[in-house]
Amino acid sequence: MHRFTTLAVAASLALGPATSVLAQEIYAPNLAYRTGPFASTGIPLMDGQADYMTLLNDRDGGIGGVTVDFEECETGYSTEKGVECYERTKSDAIVTQPWSTGITLQVLPQTNTDQIPILAPGYGFSPMQDGRVFQWAFNPPASYWEGHSMIAQAISDGDLDNLAGKKIAFLHLDHPFGKEPIPLWEAMAAEHGFELLPIPVGIPQMQNQSAQWLQIRRERPDFVVMQGWGAMNATALQEAAKTRYPMDQFVGIWWAGHDADLKLLGEEGTGYRSISWSIPQPDAPIMADLQQYVIGAGKSQAEDVNSVFYQRGLVISMILAEAIRTAQEIHGVAEIDGPMLRDGLANLNITDERLAELGMTGMVAPFATACNNHTGSAGAWMLRWDGEKFVQDSDLLQGDADLIAPLVEAAAAKYAEDNAPWPVDETCDPQS
Amino acid sequence: MLYRIAGQFKTNYRADQALFPVSQDAWLLGLILICAWVAFPLTASEFTFQTLLIPILIYSLAALGLNILTGYAGQLSLGTGAFMGVGAYACYKLLTIFPWMNPVVAILLSGLFSAGIGVVFGIPSLRIKGFYLAIATLAAQFFLIWLFEKWAWLYNYNTSGAIQVPNVDMWGITIAGPLASSTTQYYVVLAIVTLITLLCINLTRGNLGRMWKATRDMDIAAELIGINLMKSKLMAFAVSSYIVGVAGALFVFLWRGAAEPNLFDITLSFQILFIAIIGGLGSILGNYLGAILIVGLPVVLNSLPELLGVEIKSATLEHLNIMIIGSLIVFFLIVEPHGLARLWGLIREKLIKWPFPH
Repeated sequence: MHRFTTLAVAASLALGPATSVLAQEIYAPNLAYRTGPFASTGIPLMDGQADYMTLLNDRDGGIGGVTVDFEECETGYSTEKGVECYERTKSDAIVTQPWSTGITLQVLPQTNTDQIPILAPGYGFSPMQDGRVFQWAFNPPASYWEGHSMIAQAISDGDLDNLAGKKIAFLHLDHPFGKEPIPLWEAMAAEHGFELLPIPVGIPQMQNQSAQWLQIRRERPDFVVMQGWGAMNATALQEAAKTRYPMDQFVGIWWAGHDADLKLLGEEGTGYRSISWSIPQPDAPIMADLQQYVIGAGKSQAEDVNSVFYQRGLVISMILAEAIRTAQEIHGVAEIDGPMLRDGLANLNITDERLAELGMTGMVAPFATACNNHTGSAGAWMLRWDGEKFVQDSDLLQGDADLIAPLVEAAAAKYAEDNAPWPVDETCDPQS
Repeated sequence: MLYRIAGQFKTNYRADQALFPVSQDAWLLGLILICAWVAFPLTASEFTFQTLLIPILIYSLAALGLNILTGYAGQLSLGTGAFMGVGAYACYKLLTIFPWMNPVVAILLSGLFSAGIGVVFGIPSLRIKGFYLAIATLAAQFFLIWLFEKWAWLYNYNTSGAIQVPNVDMWGITIAGPLASSTTQYYVVLAIVTLITLLCINLTRGNLGRMWKATRDMDIAAELIGINLMKSKLMAFAVSSYIVGVAGALFVFLWRGAAEPNLFDITLSFQILFIAIIGGLGSILGNYLGAILIVGLPVVLNSLPELLGVEIKSATLEHLNIMIIGSLIVFFLIVEPHGLARLWGLIREKLIKWPFPH
């Protein structure tokens, strides 16, 4: 009996300080996918995200004096596991990073009741830009619709009327993620008189696209634009090389610019372009800090810290960290919760000066979010594979806001109508 | 001791053929039902509802549907996932075309669409058997998924190609959609699952069930003793697809809240087939045991390190999880190839004889 009392006292003593330490912490889980068919693209992104947060915790003691508990919950890119992770983390989490369009769609309707913001940088659902309808969802720094508008500008040398009479194949994953840009391409094709040829790749055929590329060889499109992910990209690039499709007429979205996929092709991939809202900067000051505090200390699992995806992971965590900081400033509280973080995400202002302070100049374009623009519209650059690595190929491009804003508003309004009763923030002015 | 059957006399045939000839079985079932209807809802958290209770019930129901076809009537099918999809899309269309419709009625009606399609794809079973039939149902699997992707009317021309569950009310309570509470959803699922299970237990013990078993064991012999094979097989397809369709509608409307076509992919069919096989083909109880093992255990294993305070990387945990579940499946199939239900049957028999085995 006596032993038990001592044990109990010892246990409560041990637990006591531990809980008080735990209280000074922000819980920002990441629904990671280091397993499953998309792991090859997931691992560098997750490494970048985790390393940035480790750096903040170890170098600065967290954000605003509070450490960030950046825990991963493995989903394997499966929607079912993603929802399990969401349910598992939502009681303490200040943010959900769903990492897949499927999980985003699933979680989106619940955010109004659970009051946890979704942060989906550069993915998710393009209409999320309309913050009046999607009050809890954020997809900075650029949406798919903006990305494809920029691709159209890049392949038409700045004037979309140059595309008149041409044929553009839109190679996409047959999945909500892949179908996202179709309405935008249809609108552009109708306005500028080019022919759009959507070519779907079913998930089972991701790694065998001979039928799709046979069609491309037969139709001879002037450009192939790819909305692909995971194993689909590597296969498409290899098929393009095999069918000798000119690489400089082949362009992908930011998730189709994975270094490892192109390293497999090497010289043969020369000329392939991918739009990207982040550019790797091996000489940026932050890389030296990472080397000192994280990689040198053996706290990183990363393999290639100069790859596009690893550095994009850093940018994504930077966006989250800046949002946390902004929220702390707005509310004057160090330990913020979900609704406070929403204010931070809606009032982000990443300027060139701020990027320089962070040591991340040039890694992402400056942008600012507002209640009616949850995307921030940073714009993006074209990257070109030079046979060994991705190099910058264009100046900063911007999506065509006049074209996109009405589409966003219509899609958001339809979503609100389909999910009625859906709360709409009336205090915020519409974008157009 | 607990299962002593001494003193339980049967004085007529009716009592001997009752659902529970041993009274302890009835007590046990009553206890489980009290747990499911009263104890769990009072104690469960949101997380338990959403990741354990509701999915286990829905997967059990789907496996029950497949078990009617494969376990009782002996017709191998690989199209379960697609038939679930038919139920889900039918329910979605019903509720968007007729928004005033009672959602439970819509869910029960959507099974009829799935039953109709199941019968159509069951017609080849009259000519082919075994693995060949599995391939024919595989065609249903691929064709229906293709249809869900290409036929935009099914998803109301949404740009994403996915279906989203709207908020649906019944008698003033929201039972589906983002505003529905987990407890309500759980009770609706539980009520439907209990009802269908009860129907199935009686169906499989009755005339139709005996017809199915005869067809399964030897169809030529069954035909010779006067069983109409066409009726028997097509009925099995209809009843099975009905249940699977209802499970599909529940799957999307009362649990997932949104669905894209590839959710109903072949992996879902396999998962349900595994539940049925590991639980035990030709048993009702097995479906529940199988679903607990395949659907519930991974979630529990994922929560274990946190409960024990062990720090472990999430990806590593996932790999461990897959290995543990995989080896457990192999272990159970070696220990008892006829599934978990048979394992329980053996334990029960031992308990009845204990402590004096002969």
